[in-house]
Amino acid sequence: MRLLGQIATRLISYVLVIAFGLTVVFFVPRFAPNDPVEAMLAQVSSQGAYMDAAQADALRASLTDAFGLKGSMLTQYWNFIKRIVLTGDFGPSLAMYPTPVSQLIAQALPWTFGLLLSSTLIAWVLGNFVGLWAGWRPNRASSRIMEGLAIIVYPIPYYILALVLSILFSYIWPIFPLTASVHGAPWSFAFIRSVIWNSFLPALSIVLVVFGWWVISVKAQTTQLAEEEFVRYSRLKGLGDGRILTRYILPNAILPQITFLALQIGLMFNGAIVTEILFEYPGLGHLIYTAVIQGDYNLLMGTISLSIVAVATATMIIDLTYPLLDPRIRAR
Amino acid sequence: MIELKNVRAGYGTPDSFVAAVDDVSLTVNDNEILGIAGESGCGKSTLMRTLYGDFSGGLKMAGGQVTGRFTDPDSGRTTTSEANRFQDLWWDVMSYVPQGSMSVLNPIMKIEKQIVDALPKREKKGSKAELRQRIVEFLAGFGLPETVLDSYPHQLSGGMRQRVLVAIAAFVRPRLILADEPTTALDVVVQKRILLMLVEIQRRLKNTLVLVSHDLGVHYQITDRIAIAYAGKIVEVGPTAEVFESPRNPYTEALIGALPRVGQKGERVGLEGRPPSLASPPEGCRFAARCPEAQAICRKVSPPLADKAPNHASACHFR
Ligand SMILES: Nc1ncnc2c1ncn2[C@@H]1O[C@H](COP(=O)(O)OP(=O)(O)OP(=O)(O)O)[C@@H](O)[C@H]1O
Ligand code: SF4
Ligand SMILES: [Mg+2]
Repeated sequence: MRLLGQIATRLISYVLVIAFGLTVVFFVPRFAPNDPVEAMLAQVSSQGAYMDAAQADALRASLTDAFGLKGSMLTQYWNFIKRIVLTGDFGPSLAMYPTPVSQLIAQALPWTFGLLLSSTLIAWVLGNFVGLWAGWRPNRASSRIMEGLAIIVYPIPYYILALVLSILFSYIWPIFPLTASVHGAPWSFAFIRSVIWNSFLPALSIVLVVFGWWVISVKAQTTQLAEEEFVRYSRLKGLGDGRILTRYILPNAILPQITFLALQIGLMFNGAIVTEILFEYPGLGHLIYTAVIQGDYNLLMGTISLSIVAVATATMIIDLTYPLLDPRIRAR
Repeated sequence: MIELKNVRAGYGTPDSFVAAVDDVSLTVNDNEILGIAGESGCGKSTLMRTLYGDFSGGLKMAGGQVTGRFTDPDSGRTTTSEANRFQDLWWDVMSYVPQGSMSVLNPIMKIEKQIVDALPKREKKGSKAELRQRIVEFLAGFGLPETVLDSYPHQLSGGMRQRVLVAIAAFVRPRLILADEPTTALDVVVQKRILLMLVEIQRRLKNTLVLVSHDLGVHYQITDRIAIAYAGKIVEVGPTAEVFESPRNPYTEALIGALPRVGQKGERVGLEGRPPSLASPPEGCRFAARCPEAQAICRKVSPPLADKAPNHASACHFR
């Protein structure tokens, strides 16, 4: 019963976080000094197209409609929320008019998703493995080296690491491409290979930093768990190191990490955005960057709203999974 | 079965060594229940860990010898081993019931798995369902329902957990079970049941049970022989009935004298003072400061543990 209450609380906070985020996304551009419609009109006329007053007015009206700027602030807000929640429609992109924002996002999403998912998984598996070993045998040279590496890499911001990697491996030693370019028929071997090739450096810069974080925290967990009575008992039962590590220490070390994973997701998302910009990787981060540079309001609102929803959803799912995995919480 | 010769074991560095087991010689026989009694901190658990060969968490052996000779009842083959090699015999030839039950079990693993996961091959024969059935019947003997198998440790009471630990160790059917305070968290009724269960198992398997308890009543009920420990030393060993009837050592006498007896009137004679520190034990007899019979020699010369009657030894200059 208490568990149900917790789930309900979590769901409510999920809805509130998203509502708050979307509200900010709605209001901030509207309080910005420049008017997107006029900016667009200026852009059109600066490109040399001649418009008489009537044409300009017609264009202004249709742009105002496309940007969802018609009516009072309240009507606009209501329409904005309704559109997002019901249709996921953010109107046309300004920079790539008239391609719908939703279509641009749909194209970029798999890239970001793939990058985040693969780098998180790799970092998680490696981090757990190394952290476990470093905590179990803290005095081995291999443990010390790995831990030292983790401590050095962990505090480096993603973008610095990404920059260094890109200078080293795309510029000085041009092993990997400086900018992403994918070729081959969709889902052919050549295509997948080129995707991996293009994702390698961005993924590596995320993996390294997240890996450092996992190593440090798993090591701390393991060192603490190794002293626990139940681990000592498992040894007295004659179980080997491998069994003790995988059945007794690892599951107990991972459980609290799940909460940290939820906290990390937002950070990693930010990291992915910066990394994508640096590597011109065609994901959501790159799209956000384009939107900012080109003053594409619809695209900006679309991408940021989606980011808010995505991070909030991922965090909630992880939070809700936790009780399923930990019998001590499930039983309450 | 296991022979300790002048064993010195404890914690710390050579410069500041706390010998919780100090120059102890003791024989643990085949097919017996040996009890170890003594005040808190006198080294009972350390002695048990030494017998088990569990040199971890800072416990070191600083001298002496622990030799085990175990005979397999089926094949008749005998294995001889030293304490530092006992590890290979864990949960096969010997098993252990650790003191306390609070955090001894893996908090996120079901009990059934924790019973099965370390079983030696000979106990695993048959299908999974058969094995489970055997475990269920075994647990029933300890008054534990089948649902325990599908529970996590936090869902069991302290007493249930303690019984689970005893059952896990006994289900192995080893030649030697070392049980450190296995009935401390139990009420008298359950305690009695578990003790009888342990006796029944020991008599059936004809193996050896070493039982640590600070509760002399427990020893009186089930042990064949009893060893009394005081400040890292064994001060008396002998057949339980004989030790209770006519204790040799003044310390044993004081312990037994402090026991409440039904129908006896008047104040019980308690033991004044506290045992000496193990970090810097006094010269001579360690009990001298509290002993009513102490003489000048007691404070200078340490009395050796010597036979005062057949199979009955005491460490005292006078008795
Ligand atoms: N891991 C350890 N590190 C350092 N000293 C220890 C350790 N374990 C026990 N000792 C010390 O060794 C001495 C004997 O402890 P031990 O646990 O063997 O006593 P015990 O007879 O089992 O006591 P109790 O009846 O309270 O369980 C004590 O002085 C204790 O402080
Ligand atoms: S040796 Fe002396 S002090 Fe020690 S028990 Fe005997 S009489 Fe008491
Ligand atoms: Mg103890």
